[in-house]
Amino acid sequence: MSTIVIDTCAGEEQGREALAAAAIASLDLDVQMVVVGDEDEITSILDGLAHDAERLRVVHAADPLPDNVDPRDIREAAPHSSIAVGLELTARDPDAIFVSAGQPAAIVSLALQTLGRLPGVDRAALAAVYPTLRHRGPNDDPFALLLDVGATIECTSEHLLRFAAMGAAYASKISSVDRPRVGLLANGSSPATAPERVREAHRSLSGRDLPFEYIGLLRGDQVTHGEADVIVTDGFSGDVLVRTLEGVAATADALIQRAEARFKWRLGVQMLGGGIAKLREFTDWENYGGAPLLGLDRPVIVTQANSGVRAFVNAIRLGAKMQRLGVIAAVAEAVATSAAALSEEEES
Amino acid sequence: MSDWIGSGHLLHLRWDLDKTYLRTDFDSVKDLIKTYRQKAEDKVAIVGARSLMQALLDPHERRKRRVTFISGSPTQMRAVLTRKLRLDGIEPDLFILKPNLSNILSGRIRSIRGQVGYKLSALMRSYVAATDLDELLFGDDAEQDAFIYSLYADILAGRVDAVQLASILGACKLYRAEVDEVMALHGRLFGSGDAVRRIFIHLEARSPLDRFAPYGARVVPVYNYLQAALVLHQGEVLRARDIVSVIEAMSVAGYTPARLANSVQDLVRRGVVAVADVERLAGELAAVETTRGRTVSTFIQRLRSTVADLQHVRRKSPEWLTEINYLGLYHSARFRRTRHRFFGIPLLD
Repeated sequence: MSTIVIDTCAGEEQGREALAAAAIASLDLDVQMVVVGDEDEITSILDGLAHDAERLRVVHAADPLPDNVDPRDIREAAPHSSIAVGLELTARDPDAIFVSAGQPAAIVSLALQTLGRLPGVDRAALAAVYPTLRHRGPNDDPFALLLDVGATIECTSEHLLRFAAMGAAYASKISSVDRPRVGLLANGSSPATAPERVREAHRSLSGRDLPFEYIGLLRGDQVTHGEADVIVTDGFSGDVLVRTLEGVAATADALIQRAEARFKWRLGVQMLGGGIAKLREFTDWENYGGAPLLGLDRPVIVTQANSGVRAFVNAIRLGAKMQRLGVIAAVAEAVATSAAALSEEEES
Repeated sequence: MSDWIGSGHLLHLRWDLDKTYLRTDFDSVKDLIKTYRQKAEDKVAIVGARSLMQALLDPHERRKRRVTFISGSPTQMRAVLTRKLRLDGIEPDLFILKPNLSNILSGRIRSIRGQVGYKLSALMRSYVAATDLDELLFGDDAEQDAFIYSLYADILAGRVDAVQLASILGACKLYRAEVDEVMALHGRLFGSGDAVRRIFIHLEARSPLDRFAPYGARVVPVYNYLQAALVLHQGEVLRARDIVSVIEAMSVAGYTPARLANSVQDLVRRGVVAVADVERLAGELAAVETTRGRTVSTFIQRLRSTVADLQHVRRKSPEWLTEINYLGLYHSARFRRTRHRFFGIPLLD
């Protein structure tokens, strides 16, 4: 049985939503919940929530995260913060998964200091899913994977190669795609205009026998078409891209609401009601849980700071699924296989 | 003996059957038919209930213990239910079942589903008049057991007078004959003594705990029977080896030491059991453990780490209440049920 360690000091309503999700998971999912946060507060909130106390353990950790501290120094500055304590618990239990809506930089930094890295991985990647037009795999999954979206801001071509292997292994397990299609994010389909690290990564990946299918360089507008199952980029560009996609979806939603406010347009919007609801469902990030941090020996899932109950429950489900399908072992194997394939080709 | 179970007192154990002692599904008509047709051998006790009951009915103590089962199942099921209890090694002194056939024949349709009139009068009719008497009541959260049991306890304690009771029964929409019977019994039992020590509510539906807070410390909601056993151990009704029996039964049913330790942590966080009591229990269990298997020793380890986790907890025990607003509680429960029936709002929100 998976153990889900959940940080209840972050998320909507000061972590209340995370706690509500933990309560729901304790009732509905076959998982062991460990909720980390202010025990006194957690107990008083739990009193009003239907939950299964047999499947829920509370661990006290009430140090607030200090402001204006370098993420690398948080461990020393706040050793009893919910993120630090939660990751310590995760490190001690091989079946544990950590879920948090805390500051991504703090989570990434503390996770790298507390958890083990997979062999051959020196940088972790935060992988976000985004909706695409093309569906994939036997489950008809309507989303593709984008990594890195903020864990490693400065990347070398080596890092991009590792990210490609990790992302492909993750997509292959989660969406059951045999040979995921992997692309590198660039500003055109020709490598000539791409930055050096992207050109090098493209050269290394092209024409190689790898556990995934490399489809080349992809422009930003090709991302949402779904041509690739996995898009690889550095943390800076990935973060900008994923937030742009979220911003576009939020703006579209705001425009629909504005249209509803006009009397003449209201009828038309009403007639399109079913389609609009589907569109909202499709672009609603809460449906996709959170972003897994790949490259570590335990699953870590980072959810958005304004995550509600649904986002947390989906993140918990995702974590349990990762554990059940052995995603971490698959990622480790893919990194090793890809590294061997790339070095063999280079030697020959 | 403890401060809440008097030495040499008669201990009257009152148990509900379905969802308290037996694992029963009667949420749909199909479930009801299945339950009705089930053989005694196919009926399953809730994990740990049998071991707890056997510990409470230790042959050495049996003459000082009395067991009454009060069930909402129809009288036609007496043979199969009696056989099931016998298979579990339990011989109740009294077994009261609901006369549903006579309710149908006399046109008392509300009485078929209603519990307040039936259970309250059954509890009062089966009251044992003894000078030194303690009672422990066991029910569940699927119906109104906490409400009915507390009302019964307060009638015995002389805290609910005839006027208050009449208005409560009126709100509960009991038939005239039922009201007359309960009021007559009230006349006989009012102020007989504050005999009810604890009311254990098995959280079969996993209702939120704050739903039971208005009843005070006398009502102890429990997620499983290890929790009930721990409270009874704290009250010195059970010994450490009885706890071990319950743990072993639960372990056989698939409970992991982590799940058991979480149950202990929950009691500590709620202030029902003190950290010091858990430490004492770990020591006592360790003394018993030498003759037992790995489950108990792993549980003791978990128990000790649970204690370490909770060293900072200084929780006040829940308070004993002398005034309970029964009418308010009845109406809020009714409001929740109506909201659920007509608007589909979950009962557990």
